[in-house]
Amino acid sequence: MSDRTASPPTLGFLSVQQEPAGWAGYYLVTNAWGRPLEFRLSSAVQPNRVQTALYGPTLLDYLHADVIGKALVEKTGLKPDLIVTDSPTVLALRSRVEVPVVALRPDAAVLPPETRTLTHPRASVALLLPAAFAADESALVAKLDAVDPAVDLAEPFTRIREAVAETRKLGVSGRVA
Amino acid sequence: MSRDDELDPPPVPVELLNALIDQPAAADRAPAPVVDVLPLPRFDRPLETGVREARLLTDSPWVRSAGQLTLTVTTEGWKFPAPPPEYTPPPRMASEPAIGKHAVDLPTLPDDPNAAAKARIRPKPTADTVLFKDRLLLLLQPPLDGLFDGRQLAVPFEPFPYQLEGIAFLMPRHAALLADEMGLGKTAQAILSLRLLFHQGQIRQALLICPKPLMHNWARELKLWAPDLPYEPFDGDAEQRRTTWLVSNCPLKLINYETLTRDADLAADPRVYFDAVVLDEAQRIKNKESKTAQTVRSIRRGRSWAISGTPVENSPDDLVNLFAFLDPGRIPPDTPPKHLPRYTSDCILRRTKDLVQSDMPPKTYRDLEVDLTPAQRQAYSLAEEEGVIHLNELGETISVQHVFQLVMRLKQICNFDPLTGESAKLEQLVTDMEEVAASGRKAIVFSQWVEPLEVLAKALEPFGPLQYHGRIPQAERTPILDQFKADPTKHVILMSYGTGSVGLNLQFTNYVFLFDRWWNPAIEDQAINRAHRVGQRHPVTVTRFIAGDTIEQRIALILDQKRQVFHDLLAQADKPATLGLNEDEIFGLFDLKARPRRGAA
Repeated sequence: MSDRTASPPTLGFLSVQQEPAGWAGYYLVTNAWGRPLEFRLSSAVQPNRVQTALYGPTLLDYLHADVIGKALVEKTGLKPDLIVTDSPTVLALRSRVEVPVVALRPDAAVLPPETRTLTHPRASVALLLPAAFAADESALVAKLDAVDPAVDLAEPFTRIREAVAETRKLGVSGRVA
Repeated sequence: MSRDDELDPPPVPVELLNALIDQPAAADRAPAPVVDVLPLPRFDRPLETGVREARLLTDSPWVRSAGQLTLTVTTEGWKFPAPPPEYTPPPRMASEPAIGKHAVDLPTLPDDPNAAAKARIRPKPTADTVLFKDRLLLLLQPPLDGLFDGRQLAVPFEPFPYQLEGIAFLMPRHAALLADEMGLGKTAQAILSLRLLFHQGQIRQALLICPKPLMHNWARELKLWAPDLPYEPFDGDAEQRRTTWLVSNCPLKLINYETLTRDADLAADPRVYFDAVVLDEAQRIKNKESKTAQTVRSIRRGRSWAISGTPVENSPDDLVNLFAFLDPGRIPPDTPPKHLPRYTSDCILRRTKDLVQSDMPPKTYRDLEVDLTPAQRQAYSLAEEEGVIHLNELGETISVQHVFQLVMRLKQICNFDPLTGESAKLEQLVTDMEEVAASGRKAIVFSQWVEPLEVLAKALEPFGPLQYHGRIPQAERTPILDQFKADPTKHVILMSYGTGSVGLNLQFTNYVFLFDRWWNPAIEDQAINRAHRVGQRHPVTVTRFIAGDTIEQRIALILDQKRQVFHDLLAQADKPATLGLNEDEIFGLFDLKARPRRGAA
């Protein structure tokens, strides 16, 4: 088995977005230079009223992390060394996978509960780490240090958005559903 | 059950009443009182319960399923070509200087908050990119401006934004013509595009074809712009080249047009395949029927790119023939020139210096009309007079070649008097060179012929002249250029148009002298742009020597009129244009009565 800590890390960028048909996930895996290696998208899922009532405030965490995030990460061939998301609700994914998960800190003044903030030169915005997995921080920083200095962790989400627009334009999202 | 049934008591069976009355125990205990017994109406039907049925809560419909409470999704994914491991070295730290780049520690200035956000440049799918996976791969690429900032990929300097746009243009295209004006760095753009495609695993074998004099230049540029990309020139005898064609796994191969034509059979071999073939100075295949053009088209390939600052040298047919290589069938047969852009515009990128580099130092033209020395004038007049007489004597047998011979003879006299060696141009050149050398600058002198250059070399001895022309062996050419760049005592390099006008980067020179004029303004422009190109930091002065009241002046007048036509040819062409001198114009140089027989062929 190769020593994954010694080689440049593989990065996963996970975005969950609300679409007309429901919530859909988009997952881009890149090498340490930010070059695309694999891309996977999920079908859109829309919780009904009963599910919304029963899951209550945990619905989005469940939907984003358990349903969409976990499915995308598990179905993707390449295993990342680090998962970055643009949605703090995906941070719950950390308890389902053995990989550090960080979120780009949103602009909102109120921070999501049970998170820790950290900064790193590879991210133009602050990062959020699940407080329950604060022990990930040292390993996380070590992995980020090994990422190419030209990479900005926030940038690949721009690419994902363009890819999403393309999938919508070509009707690929509907084909997955 | 009806409402009446609920109100009336149900009938009691007669047997039951009789049994109750006739009980013996009751009769034994006491005498029965006298009572009236009223007969009850008989039940005419069985008793039925009047209580609603109470079902268990587990039975339907009282417990209804809310459906699946868990949510599921399906997924679809795409894997992209993995970059070969040799192209993915461990990233360097930001503080580590890039290869070949001098690191200077300067205080970091805060970003200007009012400055507009820097536009990110990335390749986009073209209309020809049909497969969704291919489109996705392009959309998911990181921005080019992040790759070349000196940290991820070693480059001598960060490419200009327009060069990044050129790379973004080339990368997604399978048929592309990069037709930037000379001096804008087409070579670097092509190399970096190939380098990125190799890094992405999109191509694994590529072939670069260039003119023979430029092999060394390409080798140098490859080392500069793609130090991590192994390349192999086609060298040696036929057997060695056969090995390079059929056996070598080197990702990038470099060949010149002459060798390629010699190896035409191997180039067309079905075992030979390249993911990309790049033609430098692609105007070399403007003649569709030439062996060079046929050989180039016979190579099996995935991508076809052409590089040329002058893709149209003579007429729009040049462009049509170029597309026979780039994308056969793209231009329908007999397409009128004015309709060409409809088919070609998506595949052509042309930028001029005016468009992309407003901050580039200016280029100043100085048409220096010199008066021939008395000896030159005498020789010139005699030669012209006798020459015209001779041409007229030819009558209908006269041809363009006859006129050319006279023109050449007269132009040579404009350079040097054949008897005394006097030269009005040389006198002026020496004067100018004194000024160039005094200011510590360098100059290039171009001539159509090698002989005048050798004469000039002696005359310009105080200025450390170097020579670069067809008589200089290939192996010596690159060291000569290096010496010219590095040696402060070498102030001038003497070049022939044929050898020195294309592909060389001499932007450290600020003076260009055209000792005599070429026939085609495009060739002259190429020569001038050896100096006036990307990286030039000072104004460039171009001196065009013209001997007054001679054939040179007449030619210059025609060429200047045509130069304007050239600039617009790529965009639109309402009619075929000939940029050099056509037959009528050549005959018109002299007051000739003789004319060739028309339509004889």
